[in-house]
Amino acid sequence: MAFLQDYIYYIGAFGLVFIGLFIMLTKHNLIKVIIGLSILETGVNLFLISVGYITNGTAPIFSKPGLNVREMVDPVPQALVLTAIVIGLAVLALVLALSIRLYKHFGTLDLRKIKELKW
Amino acid sequence: MVNPVLLIVVPIGLAFLTPILRFISKKWVKFIPVLGFIFNLAVSISLIPAAIHDPLIVKLGGFAPPFSIVLVVGPVGILFATLISLAGVLVSFYALSYIKEGPQQKYHMLYMLLLAGATGVVLTGDIFNLFVFFEILCISSYALVAYLGNKAGIESAIKYLIQGSIGSSLLLVGIGLLYGYFGTLNMADIASQIGTVDASRLFIPMALMITGLGIEAAIFPLNAWLPDAHSSAPSSISAILSGIAIEVGLYAVIRVLFTLFDVSSFLLFMLVLGVVTLIIGELCAMSQKNIKRMLAYSSIGQIGLIVFAFSLSSNFGVGGGLFQMISHTLSKALLFLAAGFMIYKTGSMEISSFEGIGRKMPLTALLFTIGTFSLVGLPPFVGFASKFMIIRAALAKGEMLYTLLIGLVLLATVIEGSYFFKVIQVMYFKGSKTGITKSESPITGLIPMIIFASLIIFIGVYPEFIMGIINPAASELIDKFSYIRSVLG
Repeated sequence: MAFLQDYIYYIGAFGLVFIGLFIMLTKHNLIKVIIGLSILETGVNLFLISVGYITNGTAPIFSKPGLNVREMVDPVPQALVLTAIVIGLAVLALVLALSIRLYKHFGTLDLRKIKELKW
Repeated sequence: MVNPVLLIVVPIGLAFLTPILRFISKKWVKFIPVLGFIFNLAVSISLIPAAIHDPLIVKLGGFAPPFSIVLVVGPVGILFATLISLAGVLVSFYALSYIKEGPQQKYHMLYMLLLAGATGVVLTGDIFNLFVFFEILCISSYALVAYLGNKAGIESAIKYLIQGSIGSSLLLVGIGLLYGYFGTLNMADIASQIGTVDASRLFIPMALMITGLGIEAAIFPLNAWLPDAHSSAPSSISAILSGIAIEVGLYAVIRVLFTLFDVSSFLLFMLVLGVVTLIIGELCAMSQKNIKRMLAYSSIGQIGLIVFAFSLSSNFGVGGGLFQMISHTLSKALLFLAAGFMIYKTGSMEISSFEGIGRKMPLTALLFTIGTFSLVGLPPFVGFASKFMIIRAALAKGEMLYTLLIGLVLLATVIEGSYFFKVIQVMYFKGSKTGITKSESPITGLIPMIIFASLIIFIGVYPEFIMGIINPAASELIDKFSYIRSVLG
């Protein structure tokens, strides 16, 4: 139980990453693949946050006098996650725009039926 | 002295100004990238002497290195920055007459963003910053692959995007793990503390980062997107993707392997991976009927050769790898640019449709031939000098295994020769088709191709011209302690 309590965020984060990867690898509908990508990115962001998180820690900017460094949450991963979220948003917007065009060309979003290019 | 940060800021600034400047004059928008990259080329050339002597450290946040983001303009960084700006100038000049359809100002905006991202990747000294610039590069190349908006373009852009974004996520997990271990994002700082963590725990972040970056670099099992994306993009973008984007991806792999981690136990794996990539790329290229797909597969092969050269891990081998990167950029960019106008002329990408084009477009066909000769490695051209350097470095190892691998590398070169000479034979010696009038490519298209070709011949005849920058660059990659010292002080 102690293991579960200590590592619950990591377990959740990697759980999301693997769920996302599984969806991307097994689904044939492009929209589902994009949902998988979004879940994968959420998992990565959660992982980055949990790297710097301390249970019951406070933000360093509100630190009371006499507060120990060990009780403050590391702010750097949170800045990283902000950037990663913005990048993820850009990718998501682009891929959705592309899938609209794909649907106009092929009339389907089933990736098994889209075979314009071959090896 | 000029601040190196301008190399990144100017293209990004111009890129975001482009949609606004469009309202003033639609006709002049296409000259913005030319001007921007001429400026970049001038700045990077003026920085070369200082950067070779002692790496320039630019503190972007004003704090001393382990904190805030730094740019490290060392020999490797300035070598790649110069190469990127050179290709940027020439290809944007080519695009003046090549890009005629579609939303042009968006093309020029994304083009500048792509190259700004590439410059950022090679100059940054911060691992998360590397990720951000890498994403700028990737996202703009996804959009540019889909630029023509036809079936093939959209399909390959989606393939590229899905695979590329899995790669970036893996890279980000790797960076997160490294931050968890070391509490720092500065590459030199991580490199100096790498010995304090058990090697078995470092394997996972290393594998994640190499896989993530390897997708962009198209190392063998991760190269499925490359032939589609490079053949469906407009030719000027194929030239940049083949000449710059994958080389930058490979630079990032090499930087992570050589500077961040201790690679010595990993080199044999990379060596074999390089040779496998080389053989597979060349074999697939041989069976292609489509000229751009053939060039794209040949890029995979060249990437394999460069990985092989770097994994030799001697001063000479790494130098050979860097030299081969330069030679590949020049030759492959020239080939794609020449192929672009030949495709315009014949209206088809099939190699068989190029029959007799050697007589209809003599200069373009001649430039294409120079590119193929250089890529195969015939003597007066730059490809010979770089391949010779790699083979010599491998022979200097003096072990049975290396001799065997050299045999395979040379075999791959023979395969490369066979399919490139087949194209040349079709161009010059097969019956000429009627219906194509005799006319050259436009002059703005010819000038950059001629500059590429003359650089190929000039450096091929006189390799010492760039040895002065390749040697310090190779020792920067090999000797990570001097890199750490120069960054952390």
